[in-house]
Amino acid sequence: MTMGKTMDDRLRVSGILIVLGLVVEALSLVRIHPLGFLAFMFVGGGLLVLGVGIYLYSLVSLPSPPKE
Amino acid sequence: MPGPTTLLYCLIGLTIVLVATIAFRPSLTATRGGKQLAFVVLFLMPVAVAAMGAEAHMERSKRTDFCLSCHIMEPYGKSLYIDDAMYVPATHFQNARIPREEACYTCHTDYVMYGGMRAKMRGLRHVYMQYVGHAAAPLHLYSPYNNRECLHCHAEARSFEEGAVHAALMTSITSNELSCLSSGCHDNVHAIAHLSGLKFWEPK
Repeated sequence: MTMGKTMDDRLRVSGILIVLGLVVEALSLVRIHPLGFLAFMFVGGGLLVLGVGIYLYSLVSLPSPPKE
Repeated sequence: MPGPTTLLYCLIGLTIVLVATIAFRPSLTATRGGKQLAFVVLFLMPVAVAAMGAEAHMERSKRTDFCLSCHIMEPYGKSLYIDDAMYVPATHFQNARIPREEACYTCHTDYVMYGGMRAKMRGLRHVYMQYVGHAAAPLHLYSPYNNRECLHCHAEARSFEEGAVHAALMTSITSNELSCLSSGCHDNVHAIAHLSGLKFWEPK
């Protein structure tokens, strides 16, 4: 139960970060400007890397279910 | 037909919907199929969208309006409209000898391996100087303009090679010993210090 809840929490956090990163990426494409490029690289990219990283970490960090 | 940016927006929108679905209903990932879906939606799709976004930004950063969007570059943009064929950037721009939409990048990238990447790194430095530091006044190139950038297009062009002066100086030109922008040759470039006294072309 606890394991499932932890996984759900991580998926939620990861999903929110990825959505925020994608929103920043979409906004950065609205205008052709160097600040858009920077926002994409450092803000959007950072959020995406963090979100995907948390998801991947959640896959490898949770203990295996006990063998019967 | 929708352009690449429209397709990218569609993909971003689809990814947002799918990621939000998993984020707010994580119980979907309880099954094997749900786990596979989560891997696609939380890993493969964001990575693909980020790669496509990076490509889109790289292409946009070559655009003339991208370079000229910084205030400090405005006079350089204006110099492209000088109504005098002696001014090298202006005549290249006005006669479409370079793509107008990528005019700055075409002449100011290094035509060597990773030259484009080097130009991008310089661009990051320019943005830093624009918003955090202080840009040099007047602006200057990092190194003297290399003939290689001119020869990228002009080498082997008949009009270039058959010109008497070019033919006589070809070795010095190709070895970069004698700059194309030397005094008396093609030394009228952006001339931003004298813009106020010049006439400008007004495209119809």
